[in-house]
Amino acid sequence: MKSFETLDALDDTTRAAVVDLLLRMADDALIIGHRDSQWTGLAPILEEDIAFSSMAQDEMGHAHVYYQMLEQLGQGDPDTLVFVRSVRQWRCAALTYVPNGDDWALSLVRKFLYDTADAVRLGALILGTLKPLSSVAVKLRTEKKYHLMHDRAWMVRLGRATPESAARMQRAVDFIYPYARGLFEPTEADAALERAGICPSERQLEREWASAIAPVLSESGLHVHENVTPVYGARLGRHGQDLKALLDDLQKVHRLDPAAKW
Amino acid sequence: MTDTQWRVFEVFHQQARGEPHVHVGSIHASDPEMALLLAKEQYARRQACVNLWVVPAEAITATDYQDSDIFERQTDKAYRESWGYKTPRTVQRPDGERPGP
Repeated sequence: MKSFETLDALDDTTRAAVVDLLLRMADDALIIGHRDSQWTGLAPILEEDIAFSSMAQDEMGHAHVYYQMLEQLGQGDPDTLVFVRSVRQWRCAALTYVPNGDDWALSLVRKFLYDTADAVRLGALILGTLKPLSSVAVKLRTEKKYHLMHDRAWMVRLGRATPESAARMQRAVDFIYPYARGLFEPTEADAALERAGICPSERQLEREWASAIAPVLSESGLHVHENVTPVYGARLGRHGQDLKALLDDLQKVHRLDPAAKW
Repeated sequence: MTDTQWRVFEVFHQQARGEPHVHVGSIHASDPEMALLLAKEQYARRQACVNLWVVPAEAITATDYQDSDIFERQTDKAYRESWGYKTPRTVQRPDGERPGP
């Protein structure tokens, strides 16, 4: 299959599909990074607080890389994309902005499900035909490797530690799993991305993700209900109040003086 | 008061292969695997690192500071000091390869 050595080599249809894909990836990473960073100073133990915050920064770093690629694709600079876009223009899955609540189990399970999905997607992009994206994916996947080691270690321990920890973990899985399925909401970009060999269909990625999370869940004594209805709509820009409130917070300072130079 | 914290692990950091592992601090963790994972973010997120060790603090047997006078030399033993000799900073690896200058 033909490969694309640069972003400029993309035809219009494929280019629009790549923009959609990068927006989904960038917005997912930034928003889950923002949510996880809200545990800074509050996470269960000091060492984990630091580790969790550091990985939240990793996500923001990944988002920055994707926003820079979007800038090259004529979508505006990263600051504009992050601080000026209105709610409907965001493409992050609802999984990423579910509020943290007061149980860290929810954020841990969300992170595990998201990191595994991200690793599956990055693995597929590495093999894909869009070279600038493949080389980015190679780099970012090494950081993801640690995230997966970290997530698995906690999942297994908290899933099996005490009846209380097991119950809280299972409650988190039950609540968040339909949102996690929404990471793979099909979009109009799917067909073009698959045809160009850039990224497999969301359906295909979801199957790989399901096989990747299964052994860890089972090792943790946790289970998912397969017949849930995935939370869809967010990939098309249909978001609820939670993202609106998050963006009000994230964009607040910029809105005070949009022309300010930093 | 009871210590409700987890066990303490001492953390040793290696900057490049062949370099010695250097003690950089300690960490609370439930077990060795968790200690390694958490040590990575506490002690290896800024400086270069190729390897970490964690050692349960209780595995270390130490001298008593009250006995630190045993390290003092009361007569001139300057002949023991190795200044003037070249000492390699790196450690010979078991496979015989000697990394870097």
